[in-house]
Amino acid sequence: MNADQVYIDRVIAQLPLDAGLRTQVEMELRSHIAERVEHGQSVEEALTHLGDPIVLAESYLAAIPLIAAPFWPRAAARLIDAFGVLALVAMPIIAFVVLTLWREQGFLIPIAIIVTIFIVSILGALYPVIAEYRYGKTVGKHLMGLRVVRESGARISFGQSVVRQLPMLTQVWWIDMLFALFTDKHQRAFEILSKTRVVVAREEQS
Amino acid sequence: MSGRDDDRKGIARELKRGSLELIVLHLLSLGEAYGYEIVTTLTERTNGGLEVTDGTLYPVLYRLERAGFVAVRWETPQRGVPRKYYRLTEAGQEELGRLTHEWSTFANAMAQLLRQQPERT
Repeated sequence: MNADQVYIDRVIAQLPLDAGLRTQVEMELRSHIAERVEHGQSVEEALTHLGDPIVLAESYLAAIPLIAAPFWPRAAARLIDAFGVLALVAMPIIAFVVLTLWREQGFLIPIAIIVTIFIVSILGALYPVIAEYRYGKTVGKHLMGLRVVRESGARISFGQSVVRQLPMLTQVWWIDMLFALFTDKHQRAFEILSKTRVVVAREEQS
Repeated sequence: MSGRDDDRKGIARELKRGSLELIVLHLLSLGEAYGYEIVTTLTERTNGGLEVTDGTLYPVLYRLERAGFVAVRWETPQRGVPRKYYRLTEAGQEELGRLTHEWSTFANAMAQLLRQQPERT
């Protein structure tokens, strides 16, 4: 792959999964690199003038104001995700287990239910980590018009996505959530720690 | 390099950053231009006193475009990559007037302050 394409890909990777913004920035960068090449410079020189791709992406994103997501839509998104996991994963597994074991191995049902709860807990914890890292939102956040970004507006890393969800593995997750009621940007404690935030996915951002 | 030199560079950088929108709007008031033209015109007209990197300029142009101060058009050559041209809008002209006034007021106040001699006792 060419150096300019690698550079552009690195810039684009920082931007939200938004066809409009990504396409515009890609076209612009391609055009600006070509301008310098047409004036006798090498692609490498052109890339040097553009600077660090992550800084450039964040400079573009700085033009888009971020609106902190209010507390209640966030809570609703969390509930939608929780019920989604229950309805789509837990209930079918439990129904299948009960119907299968009902007649001959009924004594296994409690064990199967415990195993199911364990699997659902793991999936419930993994789902937001993967969805927010990959797509910047879960189904609940999508339905509530929200998305997860870095403080700069760039896409979050996998590590940040993991740190965001750590309190969900503890008994004190609700204390973490309460922070969102009182902080300026409606951030949970672990969002402040992971330098991420949940924002309104507006028309021009998404 | 000493800390004082770093401070001076820091001040110059902050001043430039704060006035970048004014610089770009002013350059576009001279006529439509594409990105590389804006960079080179700035260097030429200030004898290199004011230089800006592409990585600093393009996000500013994007911000001005979003704000409606700059309009763009793409020109597609027969061969090669399409080129993006920027021009000032009416709102951009007004913004330029406002920023120019702000800058003049600030520069005059600074000049007035720095002209003052220490009082002798």
